[in-house]
Amino acid sequence: MGFTVIKGGLETTVQDYPGRKGAFGMGFPPSGPIDHWSFRLANVLVGNPPGAAALECAFIGPVLRADRDAVIALTGADMKATLDGAPVPLWESIAVHAGQTLALGSAVTGARTYIAFAGGIEVAPFLESRATFVIGACGGLEGAALKEGQSIPLRDVGATAPSRRLRDGVRPPSPAGGVWEIEVVAGPNDDWIDEAGKRRFLTSDWRLSSKSNRVGFRLDGPDWTFTAKATDKAPENGEHPSNVIDHGYPIGAINLCGQTPIILMVDTLTLGGFINPYTVPTCAWWKLGQSRPNEIYRFREVTVAAAQAERRRIATLCTEDSLAPGEQDGGRA
Amino acid sequence: MIYDEPRFRPGGDRFIEMELGDELNFDLNFLVHALTARVREARLDGIVELLPNMASIVISYAPERIGYDDVLREIGALHGSLGSLEDVELPSPLYTFPVLYFDHLTRACWEDYCARIGEKEYDPDLMVRLNALESRAQLARIHSGTEYWVAALGFYPGLASLIALDPRCRLTAPKYNPPRTWTPKGTLGYGGSVTCLYPARTPGGYQIIGHSPVPVFDLEQRLRAFRDRLALLRPGDRVRFVPVGREEYDHVTAQVESGAYEHQVAAYAKFSIRAYHEWLATLDMSVRF
Repeated sequence: MGFTVIKGGLETTVQDYPGRKGAFGMGFPPSGPIDHWSFRLANVLVGNPPGAAALECAFIGPVLRADRDAVIALTGADMKATLDGAPVPLWESIAVHAGQTLALGSAVTGARTYIAFAGGIEVAPFLESRATFVIGACGGLEGAALKEGQSIPLRDVGATAPSRRLRDGVRPPSPAGGVWEIEVVAGPNDDWIDEAGKRRFLTSDWRLSSKSNRVGFRLDGPDWTFTAKATDKAPENGEHPSNVIDHGYPIGAINLCGQTPIILMVDTLTLGGFINPYTVPTCAWWKLGQSRPNEIYRFREVTVAAAQAERRRIATLCTEDSLAPGEQDGGRA
Repeated sequence: MIYDEPRFRPGGDRFIEMELGDELNFDLNFLVHALTARVREARLDGIVELLPNMASIVISYAPERIGYDDVLREIGALHGSLGSLEDVELPSPLYTFPVLYFDHLTRACWEDYCARIGEKEYDPDLMVRLNALESRAQLARIHSGTEYWVAALGFYPGLASLIALDPRCRLTAPKYNPPRTWTPKGTLGYGGSVTCLYPARTPGGYQIIGHSPVPVFDLEQRLRAFRDRLALLRPGDRVRFVPVGREEYDHVTAQVESGAYEHQVAAYAKFSIRAYHEWLATLDMSVRF
């Protein structure tokens, strides 16, 4: 027994981190949360392992009724959550009593809110993960976003104390003014883009299209220009300069489909016939997860080593050490 | 060409694309799968997943456990140790699928596309015209006249990209533009020089020329062939299509629905590229199907 879904919201899904491993070669993307930084901190706040199954709520959150006492934490976007009408703080664990209603609205800042439950969501794992893969109709709760009337099963844990907070400086910075600086690593197919094209990519404003979802984030911006590798190639590569013989797609790759770049996200198709000139490393995915249509991306090139260092830094922040002093011990009554 | 040395490029902080060449070439794809098998056997710590495709392998790794340069060195060394491909033999089960060519389901799908999205030449007729064939019957003879090689797996879960092993049976087809919003599960599609069976009802871009009632993918793992897997086919497997009439098609459909169907497979077959090259040399390229 756990929570009953009164309203599902726009797209509320069960996710875990790092999602589904070992089935990429069969065509299953990893799924999992896009803003995995906020996701892991939500779990830390309720005393779970950082990757435990929790909810990702996109743009418009759900309304849930507690069927038992529980401790939960909300992180990420501010959806003006209330508990029986009273405002609920973000980035803090709170007690919910049986019969109370948790209601999230539309995101006023950011795009995705994460809700973690002490103990974690106990749906059956599929290929060793509880992450929902919507277009594959598998994982999560019945392979789909939450629907009215469903029950969200929780693992039973002893009582967990509420009111845990985070130390300063451990959570992702607040979204600033609709312009995001996004790290990119050059490659794997950067040698298909000429110098002018690379410069244009790194110096232009890219607008996030409303045709974006967990499969891909579509960007509007200037045209691309190409090297001879793209324009003078064996015919089986395809006609357009952005066409290549089918190859596998890294998650986070900026996939150039004709002239339209699409950042391949956690539910991506795993292969295809378009080039990937740049890749957004995992340390920047939280920015993708919290950005809204029509906001601006500016890309900043970083090395593989720098991207990996930032990945490590974020991972070290997503642990119990990030709880505010004095609150680690009071975690479990 | 097939590169003398593989080329590695990063795909962010935890992927690497390893390019082995830049063309569609059977020997190149065989190299991709021989190397993939070798890397899997080596069980390198920190190598998480491999996505082999036509001419490249995407490697995902855990940067906490192995560095970028170490991945290149380890996998580069395995590539160097492969030796002559002629001596490599890979397991290659051969599956047989009954197909109703130019069937009612794909015809209804094409009619729906014409009605809702735009007029388009009937897919089999388009393929006959573009490949300078005499008739739909010849298209079916050519399509079913060869074994196919599973060159890649993915896009959608369980989708196998198949390439013809008999060069006389290679066809080409353009992709739908704009793509279809739905395709019946089990549809036989053709795009570029690749044919496939649609593992589920999904959008699609390949020309559609037939239908098999025999599934290649089953989330519920109902049939016996799916007991230890969700996706039937793996890279390096082989496939044959056998044209059937409506009566047999209906019979197989009923067997699949009842759960009694047993996939037809030569499970312990192997594939040697030396034997393949020898067979290619015996072919009479003037024979028409």
